[in-house]
Amino acid sequence: MSGLDWLVLVAALALFVAYGVWRSRGERGLEDYLLAGRTLGWPMVAFSVMATQASAVTFLSTPGQAYADGMRFLQFYFGLPIAMVVLAATAVPIYHRLGVYTAYEYLERRFDLKTRTLAALLFLVQRGLAAGVTIYAPSLILSVVLGWNIQWTIVAIGALVMAYTVWGGSRAVSHTHFLMFGILWFGLAVVAVTIARRLPHGVSVLDALAVAGRLGRVNIVDPRFDLANRYNLWSGLIGGGFLALSYFGTDQSQVGRYLTGRSVVQSRLGLLFNGLAKVPMQFLILGLGATVFAFYLFTPPPVFFDPGPVQQVEHSALAPQYEAAVARHHAAALVQAERARALVAARHDHDVAAIATAGSALEQAHRDVEAARGAAVDVLVRRDPGLNRNDVNYVFLGFVLRHLPAGIIGLVLAMVFAASMSASSAEMTALASTTIVDVWKRLLRGGGVPRAELVASRVITLLWGAFAIGFAEFAGKLGSLVEAVNILGSLFYGTILGIFLTAFYAKRVGGTAVFLAALVAEALVLACFRWSKISFLWFNVVGCLTVVGLSSALAALRPSWRRATESV
Amino acid sequence: MSDARDDEADPAAVGAPPLLGRWSHLYALVLIALAIEIAVFWVLTRALR
Repeated sequence: MSGLDWLVLVAALALFVAYGVWRSRGERGLEDYLLAGRTLGWPMVAFSVMATQASAVTFLSTPGQAYADGMRFLQFYFGLPIAMVVLAATAVPIYHRLGVYTAYEYLERRFDLKTRTLAALLFLVQRGLAAGVTIYAPSLILSVVLGWNIQWTIVAIGALVMAYTVWGGSRAVSHTHFLMFGILWFGLAVVAVTIARRLPHGVSVLDALAVAGRLGRVNIVDPRFDLANRYNLWSGLIGGGFLALSYFGTDQSQVGRYLTGRSVVQSRLGLLFNGLAKVPMQFLILGLGATVFAFYLFTPPPVFFDPGPVQQVEHSALAPQYEAAVARHHAAALVQAERARALVAARHDHDVAAIATAGSALEQAHRDVEAARGAAVDVLVRRDPGLNRNDVNYVFLGFVLRHLPAGIIGLVLAMVFAASMSASSAEMTALASTTIVDVWKRLLRGGGVPRAELVASRVITLLWGAFAIGFAEFAGKLGSLVEAVNILGSLFYGTILGIFLTAFYAKRVGGTAVFLAALVAEALVLACFRWSKISFLWFNVVGCLTVVGLSSALAALRPSWRRATESV
Repeated sequence: MSDARDDEADPAAVGAPPLLGRWSHLYALVLIALAIEIAVFWVLTRALR
């Protein structure tokens, strides 16, 4: 990294922290600390909601996902706009009317204390673990860029995020989200233009995407219904829709963001803006990954993007074998580049027969490259049998470091830090809110003195940070980070969503019925995860429908488990 | 869509309000935008494979 990159990165970090501290001045009590006093307008709500979801994982792993697997991951987000409409119409007015701090407070008013506690605990477990992944991602960057020990880097980065989060509170979180999201979009635009300019002379972005598409990387929409296929139109619309409903409707890290809105209108507009902007935003990020893939069709790519295992094997007895495998891979990549150029030339000539011939030749060349890569990775695995062959998390970062100019690298790192800090700060605030409001104040009967509540919130935030840092130490074993986060969420979200949908719409169901149904649903989801081949997005559907269906059946069979009255 | 009017709803109610209402046009806009996006992505997928 050059001095200019360091300057950009340090200036950006200083700006984030200084702005957060400045905006958090004058906080008085728990409502100010946890919900920014419920005073924010819809642009602040919208950007805070989006920045919370777009963690560093989004910018590290998503382009790599497109590089390795194509853009079909976009379908995962198709259910999100539908969920935004449903939540804007249902959850937002309910939460605002009741004046709750957390989503789980509502469950006690609608059902009972045990249901509120169950949902809050499911959230704390799931979000606490996910917060570990959020901290791991930027630590990965620094360890790669600077060659630091990743374990100590996790501790150092986690501590930085924690200090900012503990100091800032919810108002500072929302305001810095606004600033950070602006920098994220600016950075994305700069990177997109830079990649386009790095394509070979005579190759446009459309040419690049067409070549990538020939090799299956522009597989955005797959309308075939298949339960075992992780990403298709139906799993995205239905499974992704349920996941988004649960994430935005019941996960306090999101509910806490739009509860900062000063009215129902402001919170609603914030969510609907997210519904409009999210899919195009993810399309652009995945498009960057597909374009990076196309770039490496014309320029020989690294055999393995994770530099750690490569450095190890280069200093081992297997070095000669690895060098031979790399040479074979490089030769195959040169042939691939030649055939990619031939396909572009055929496209420019509008010669249908030549396009078909060049396309087939490129496919064969790509198979040869993949075979050579597989042989080289086999050597890496012989050096380290525990090696994760999945290097998608390193693809985008590796490209940035190798091919982007000084200054832009620092900007990209600032983007990743902005994303990580924004997601982490929202997670920490939400974990603290739920622990304070649903556990400490409600279950343990603590609190009562405003100053003590504020201090307790900060202490709890610190403790959750320590837990997240501990889990972050294991996050590297989870494969693709973006998938790991969503798989983890899908194990719990369906059940939590089922509880909330029952609360909203099954007016006759009482607390005990929904509580028992939730326990059964969670066991069923965990059994599906352990023993079935059902794709994880469907766990949300299984968990949710089991809670709604079983609780309704239990209430119908046993009158004492029905709700006594229609209103609280 | 003034803040005051929207907040005039019954503060004691905890059930979900009707899905449609004076916000239906904005909800429709979001859903129509999604449908158009999926259609465009489908065309892109077919054209660039």
